Amino acid sequence: MNLQRIVALAWKEWREIIRDRLFFALAFVVPAMLMLLFGFGLTLDVENLPFAVVDYDKTAASRDYAYRFISSRYFAFQGYAADEHDVDALLADNKVRMVLVIPPRFDERLGRGEPAPVQVLIDGTFPERTQTSMGYVAAINSAVSLDNMAHALSRVRGIPLPEARQRVQPVKLEVRYLYNQSVKSIWSLAPKLIMLIMMLSPPFLTAVGVVREKESGSIFNIYSSTVSPGEFLLGKLAPYVAISIANAMFLWLLATWLFGAPFKGDPLFFAFATVLYVICTTGIGLVISMLVQTQVAAMIVASIVSIIPAVLYSGVLLPLPSLSPAASMLAHALPPMYYTNIVVGCFLKAVSWHALWLEVLVLAAYAVGLFGLGYLLFTKRPKS
Amino acid sequence: MAGSALVTQTMSAPAIRVEGFIKRYGKRVAADGLALTVQRGEIYGLVGADGAGKSSLMKAVAGVLAHDGGTVEVFGTVIDSERAAEKVKQRIGFLPQGLGLNLYPDLSIEENVDFFGRLRGVPGAELAERKNMLLGMTRLDAFRSRPMRQLSGGMKQKLGLVCTLIHEPELVILDEPTTGVDPVSRRDFWAILGKLLEEKGITALVSTAYLDEADRFHRVSLFHEGKVMGEGTPAELIARVPGTLALFRAEPQADALPRLKAQFPQTEAMGAWLRVFAEGLAPEQALTAVEASLGTHSPPVGSNSFDHNRRSADRGRINSLPRQADTASLPLVGSNSFDLGWESTDSGRVNSTPRQADTLPPQGCLTQRTIRLSDWFAREPELEDVFVAMLRQRGARLDTSLPADAPAAAPTSTLAIEASGLTRVFGDFRAADAVSFAVPQGEIFGLLGANGAGKTTVIKMLTGILKPSSGAGRVAGADMRSAGLAIKERIGYMSQAFSLYHDLSVVENIRLYAGIYGLDDRRARQRSDWVIGMAGLAGFENDAAGRLPMGLRQRLALGCALVHEPRVLFLDEPTSGVDPIGRRMFWDILFHLSRREGVAILVTTHYMSEAEHCDHLALMFAGRVVADASPEAMKQELITSAGQLLELRVDRPVPAQNALRDAGFANVALHGRAVHLLSRDADTDRERLPALLDKAGIAVQSVGLRPLSMEDVFVQRISALEEAGRRPA
Repeated sequence: MNLQRIVALAWKEWREIIRDRLFFALAFVVPAMLMLLFGFGLTLDVENLPFAVVDYDKTAASRDYAYRFISSRYFAFQGYAADEHDVDALLADNKVRMVLVIPPRFDERLGRGEPAPVQVLIDGTFPERTQTSMGYVAAINSAVSLDNMAHALSRVRGIPLPEARQRVQPVKLEVRYLYNQSVKSIWSLAPKLIMLIMMLSPPFLTAVGVVREKESGSIFNIYSSTVSPGEFLLGKLAPYVAISIANAMFLWLLATWLFGAPFKGDPLFFAFATVLYVICTTGIGLVISMLVQTQVAAMIVASIVSIIPAVLYSGVLLPLPSLSPAASMLAHALPPMYYTNIVVGCFLKAVSWHALWLEVLVLAAYAVGLFGLGYLLFTKRPKS
Repeated sequence: MAGSALVTQTMSAPAIRVEGFIKRYGKRVAADGLALTVQRGEIYGLVGADGAGKSSLMKAVAGVLAHDGGTVEVFGTVIDSERAAEKVKQRIGFLPQGLGLNLYPDLSIEENVDFFGRLRGVPGAELAERKNMLLGMTRLDAFRSRPMRQLSGGMKQKLGLVCTLIHEPELVILDEPTTGVDPVSRRDFWAILGKLLEEKGITALVSTAYLDEADRFHRVSLFHEGKVMGEGTPAELIARVPGTLALFRAEPQADALPRLKAQFPQTEAMGAWLRVFAEGLAPEQALTAVEASLGTHSPPVGSNSFDHNRRSADRGRINSLPRQADTASLPLVGSNSFDLGWESTDSGRVNSTPRQADTLPPQGCLTQRTIRLSDWFAREPELEDVFVAMLRQRGARLDTSLPADAPAAAPTSTLAIEASGLTRVFGDFRAADAVSFAVPQGEIFGLLGANGAGKTTVIKMLTGILKPSSGAGRVAGADMRSAGLAIKERIGYMSQAFSLYHDLSVVENIRLYAGIYGLDDRRARQRSDWVIGMAGLAGFENDAAGRLPMGLRQRLALGCALVHEPRVLFLDEPTSGVDPIGRRMFWDILFHLSRREGVAILVTTHYMSEAEHCDHLALMFAGRVVADASPEAMKQELITSAGQLLELRVDRPVPAQNALRDAGFANVALHGRAVHLLSRDADTDRERLPALLDKAGIAVQSVGLRPLSMEDVFVQRISALEEAGRRPA
């Protein structure tokens, strides 16, 4: 190992990244931009779902029932419709996603103690959202029913309303949300975005950075000199690792300051794990760069190899336990899942070494394995 | 110590020894049993077309490519593994192919040099010293902080050389360092390289696609399709295929060409001239044989047909041939208008005196099939002639299936292409500046110039792709600014990249172009057959275009540009990378098109030797046309203004070059072991120069006149312009 050569390589690479506009943007602008776009764009909370009401009954009871929905923060009331035919167009245009149809004699049936059917029309094009909104509808509906029952009981038995309420629902849920008290999805999303972006950016940068030397022919300067493969990899990749670490720090700032995610864990532990993860993802780029010959191929392979595990098998969108056994195995075989556990643990759960040592170990193994593979694949006397 | 024995052994080993070298890429065999030996201190050349195997061999020698068979030995070390290659890499400098491609475009000149120096572990003080020396020598030191991407082709090439030499290697491997660089920079490059190698005692392995650069080397290997066709000094190689190279006029030229081709396959039309390599014939035999094949021998006395012995005496157009047996070479004769140094170089003395001669009187054809021969010159062949002859001996064929007896196109004076004051401004850069020239129907017109001189801009304006800022271009009588589709159908265009679809077959490519030009089915079929016949593609009809050899692919691209029978043809660097056989066939086709079918052809090329195929040349420099004449006229003008070309073979070329410069010769260039210079008074100089050099302790083996090449013309003109540009106005 000759330090002068490593420094020369790293210094050259650094200057090239800084001076090449495209590379500069890829290195410093794209990660932050992704964070902003995903952070503001990808919210999994279903709120303000537009809806309309068709009230054929037009009584106090029916208005009261509708009002329960109108006053909910999960629904955004768009107005009353005269009849069902009017709402078809609204649903088709996405003006409303849900319609509540209250039939005639709603009040009368309730008064008589007969079943009073209410029709709910929900846009099913987006199953995730449909399920969630259906849950809201059912919850509001049962709250209304229970309330009505409690009122009736209180009237009939002459007992006070609170007691009547307690009688109709003897089992009462006491929910405490842990780690994310207000159940804001951005709190959990922002840390996971650090994982996602640090899975995309370093492999892309590294693979393109190495392959462009192959494509231009400047790699022959390396091949024909006495630089050892180790010196080359260290010098060439050091700037990419450094840039990615800086990016991870900046994303952390965005997550905590801009998106308000709490950071409860040990900063030192988090920094250590993040550096390890960045080395690991840089290693993915290195291995890709050894296997392809053109920048276009490098970009395509890097995108596929990084986006799919980062989005599907990391737990950012779907909880891991709900994956199929095969998918779960795949998730366990890829690094993003482990770092997801680390970021979520550090941001929300305030856990550290004792809970996450296995994850750190796996990432370390990955980093060593990927760089080892890159080292083995690198030859200064290739076949073609 | 055991090491010292090893050292003495490696000290005595040749710099490079290659035997039975084989390299395959998949199924394709790039090098098939190559062998060569390079001695220390030699400048060794690998000469051949693209795909001949030069790069594979050079990379293997540099230790950056694993080969499949044979032995590669560098400084006595067998390169058979990465570990073995590492042992010699510090002693090697490698410049890969592609102008400036191995440099870092975002780094400045100085940063590039520093990077290479540090990469090679050159200590700081030495690095600074060498950098100053090399940048000074290459005249790059004024641009130290300029980013490499903003350098001209010539500067990139020199920077590449500096970076390759910064660690003072004992062996430099330079892969096509001069391809695509203008002749002035190229000459400069050879001068710098020659000087550095001589001073430092460096061995060099250099490849080139230009056969006319072979005389820059001490020894060369001729490469063709993965095999070595011959190895030796350029003179030895030329001597390997004895014969005579003849240049003459024959009227009508278009009738003479097929008759000559029947007997001399290596016959080419060079503008108004014919160039014949008569293999195995002495000069006078060549003349007899040429006359015989033209049907001009033993004509009835007093008839109108040509009789050189009688008529030349009184008309002076063809000089009589002395039949002395004492000289193997033909006493060369010629009119003053073409005394460009043609003589037999082995005699070392002028054995002919230029005589006063008439210029060719404008005479019509006497009878339909009578061919008149005039202005006969003969000399020893050039390396390219010998190379082509070698390839022919191995079965390469030069004939195309063009109808030889097609009627010659009636001469017309219609202008096919007319540029008048064409100007194109990009920002404050004048890419083309008041460019004017005219090309009559049936003429081959060459546009010469370095990369960035404005050739492509002019072609784009003439084909209507680019709007001129001012001025007008007329093609086939229509102004290109207002011309619509109709005019475009009269134009054929073939770009440098051979715009073919590589995954389509030959026939599919032709049919596609036929479709684009709106040919109906019947005509498309007819033209398709014509293209296949013309390009010699029979048997390849269903092969993918991308898998064809370069020469065939080039002729297919030409065929596609001709599928709609255009009257005007634009060719942008059409022969880059094609082997000499392919280039010859290509020019044959162009000649046929211009002479038989009356097509006007505008061609750009960076092969200076090819410029001589053109009837007329325009030389572009910095967006302007700086010369516009026939090749002979340009050469003649150079002789008038700067003198004739003298070649001195000497024992120590670099000191000889310096001594001659000190003696006041401005244009002294190194060519391997010889020095070339322009002399205003050739007769006196060839007498006095040996004595002059003898005083400097340099032995002169021979002095002789050399024919001027278009490169000489180009370099002279551009240097004068650059000189004028540097001088404050």
